Amino acid sequence: MARANWRGGLIWGWTLAVVTFMYLPALCLFLASLTSSRYFIFPITKWGLAWWDKTFASLEIHALFRTSILTAAVVTAIAVVIAFFGALAFARYDWRGRSIYQKIVLLPIFFPQSVLGLALLLWFNALGLQLSWQTAAFAHLVWIIPVVTLVISIQVYSFDPALEEAAFDLGASRFQVFREVTLPVLLPGVFSGALFAFLLSWGNFPLSLFTTGADTTIPEYLYAKMVAGYTPGVPVLGTVSTAGAAILLLGGYALIVLWRRRRET
Amino acid sequence: MTTRPVLLELRGLGKSFGALAAVDRIDLAIAEGEFFTIVGPSGSGKTTLLRMLAGMEQPTAGDIVLRGLRINDVPANRRPTCMVFQSLALFPHRTVGENIEFALKIKGVAPATRKIRALELMRLLRLPEDYYPKSVTKCSGGERQRVALARALAYDPEILFFDEPLSAIDYKLRKTLEKELKDIHRETGKTFVYITHSLEEAMVMSDRIGVMRAGVMVQVGTPNEIYTAPRDRFVSEFIGDVNIMPVRRVEGGRLRSDAFATDFTAPRMPEGFAAGHLVVRPESLRFVTRDGEAENVLAGRLYNEYALGSRIQYQVRVGAPEGAHVFIVEKLRQQAYAGALDDEVRIGWDGRDSILVGD
Amino acid sequence: MGSLGLRHALPLLLFLLLGFAAPLLAVIGYSVMPERTFGLWQAPTLENYVNVFTSTSWISFLTSLTFAGLTVVILAFACYPIAFGLARTFGRWAPFLTLLFTIPLFVSENVRMYGWVLFFIKNGLMLGTLKSLFGFEIESWLFTRGMILLGMVYVYLPFMLFPMTLGIAMVPKETRDAAYDLGASRFQVFREVDLPLSMPGIVIGLLLSFVLAVGAIAEAKVLGGQRAIPITHDIEIAFTYSQNWPLGAALSVLLMLVVGVLVVGVLRRFDLDAILGRR
Repeated sequence: MARANWRGGLIWGWTLAVVTFMYLPALCLFLASLTSSRYFIFPITKWGLAWWDKTFASLEIHALFRTSILTAAVVTAIAVVIAFFGALAFARYDWRGRSIYQKIVLLPIFFPQSVLGLALLLWFNALGLQLSWQTAAFAHLVWIIPVVTLVISIQVYSFDPALEEAAFDLGASRFQVFREVTLPVLLPGVFSGALFAFLLSWGNFPLSLFTTGADTTIPEYLYAKMVAGYTPGVPVLGTVSTAGAAILLLGGYALIVLWRRRRET
Repeated sequence: MTTRPVLLELRGLGKSFGALAAVDRIDLAIAEGEFFTIVGPSGSGKTTLLRMLAGMEQPTAGDIVLRGLRINDVPANRRPTCMVFQSLALFPHRTVGENIEFALKIKGVAPATRKIRALELMRLLRLPEDYYPKSVTKCSGGERQRVALARALAYDPEILFFDEPLSAIDYKLRKTLEKELKDIHRETGKTFVYITHSLEEAMVMSDRIGVMRAGVMVQVGTPNEIYTAPRDRFVSEFIGDVNIMPVRRVEGGRLRSDAFATDFTAPRMPEGFAAGHLVVRPESLRFVTRDGEAENVLAGRLYNEYALGSRIQYQVRVGAPEGAHVFIVEKLRQQAYAGALDDEVRIGWDGRDSILVGD
Repeated sequence: MGSLGLRHALPLLLFLLLGFAAPLLAVIGYSVMPERTFGLWQAPTLENYVNVFTSTSWISFLTSLTFAGLTVVILAFACYPIAFGLARTFGRWAPFLTLLFTIPLFVSENVRMYGWVLFFIKNGLMLGTLKSLFGFEIESWLFTRGMILLGMVYVYLPFMLFPMTLGIAMVPKETRDAAYDLGASRFQVFREVDLPLSMPGIVIGLLLSFVLAVGAIAEAKVLGGQRAIPITHDIEIAFTYSQNWPLGAALSVLLMLVVGVLVVGVLRRFDLDAILGRR
């Protein structure tokens, strides 16, 4: 028992060290955003929220937020619908091509995103499409639909197909079965899928880089700024991105936990 | 039973997957109000058969006829039948009350009427009234059974189908629920069609039993007929422990056992019987030295004993230690054999307890 | 049943046909066009492929493969204990910790790498602290090959961790207990039971992180200061600076070939239902 504790402690220690490692950059961004001097010098001598004010007052930044949110919202809506049915085909139904289909779904995930972005750029060009946030949304979907399909599939795997048969047997029509049983039972999976879709689109850089054209998303803007040299606006936006993702995800997780608890009373 | 009108009729009903016949052209008539059980080992086609009757699989041959009307093409949601699933398939996102009321809600019954009906059914199934708003995920195994049954009854079906609903339940509760189910059958007067792999379970509940094997309905009869007059070796063995000896018919209406080099009596010889198996139930065997002489006797050695609650089983080995023939003798506890292991014993039975079957 | 599954899969398959298969075909199409052309309707040629092998691009190829390989090896060792903890010992903390490892996935990788720049830069978090507390100054480690590796390990960690966790969770506890009970040591249990039974998840993790790492681009730029040139950089240059789309397309095709052979070769052996937990 003593040995097991010793080993368990080692695993915990290592895990916490890696968690720290994962969040160290976010901490640096946060600290840098609180500096009011032009350059970041640690330990910070001039604390202040000056750059926060400046960043949020900027009209350019407002436009960036609009583009990013619009893209993410459109991607989420389309991805969830296609992936929901895709997940039923992935995990619910036994059909002849299922095994191959499952692997096809995985291919875009197992693919370097920068190359995928370029490939889409060439494709849009060959079609003569004008690049904009719409083409970027399409590009995001190529990668995000498979991811969301997997996320929803995990919920579908624990779905008992007899539930649908039972509802049908009790007199429900195909549509009623879907509305009364299939959809509500799978809703937590759909919800996590939507969360993933929104956040992955919001934070995506390699696909946006080649496919947004004149429109710019926040990750692209940050990239341009950081390559060009230091701007204190970068840490501010970086902090906002990280905190936003954390709040959405932790909030969503809390919502699912509450949901389960309420259902079990 | 046979005086009641026929409710459900299967005419040459079959289902094949490619060359494999899962259900092979079954003819059967089930009477109104009957408790009919289909038993068979896994893979015997009983689930496929039940799913065809419930409308969840399409037959590839024959007809399903309900009250004289062919219902092959009526989908499950339009058939006046309802199924209790093996997994029960309770809707996890709904309360006990909502589960029971599901069919009524689909039919468009008003909420107040629905609730009255649901509470009625809960009373019938001995579910406490305060379970109405409870989540089904919080119910115990037995309670979930009752909710599933109430939900099916709320549909007010002409026939209730059961797909091994008790198979995942522990022994003691299963025994209680078997009897409860039979009581509900009596209480509601509905027709029950039940499938299980346990002939013991079927015996407890059923008016009639159909035994299936490899897609074929091997024998249909009352529990007593199945027990005392199994049609073949498969049916005789399906009920539990039996003693089986290969025999052939010899002059004078006697049976010759080559293995024991003896002749046995058999008054109930089927017509045209030439060779097959002699089946003796463990409780028909007795220890001759203590319980008195028998028509057929074999000498052996007591190898072991097994206590089964109210009864005790003995294993007796007849013949040389290698390749000895094993016999199971069953006695009530009050008639226990008071001897030691390895005793020389003589076991015997009377000709009226012999059952003759083909292969 | 058959048509029902296909009907549900159809929208997704059509989308991937338009958004995945067609673009890859477009890349292949461009890769056989004459140099510095922007249309698809000229006589095909293989000169771009010849150019790839006569230029220095093959060095970039090796760089990418080496860095990806190193990243995967480091990740395998770094992630195993964590994955083991998540699948077995963390209990009610496991979902929360999983969430903590998930959040960074949703922040664009260049932003997170920029955080590292702020950490390692002169007067940054690390050097600034050393200077003010202990008074010594050392050279910044920024813009070295080691930094590129750190950035890649950092970015691709979740892609190794999660499949590995799924893999370890697949090992029934009873089989491990049985092995102990039969006299195996901790290491023997690991080698004889844990490792082989969790292999599907581990291999998927290795594959996924390798494939993504081969396509890495921002790490070398932001943290490495071009100290090493990955193949993706060459591709980007071909498309932007030198405006030679066919060459970039040819490089992409070669990269896709490496990745594709690896992915298809590994994936076809796996039963995804078992890994993702079908009942």
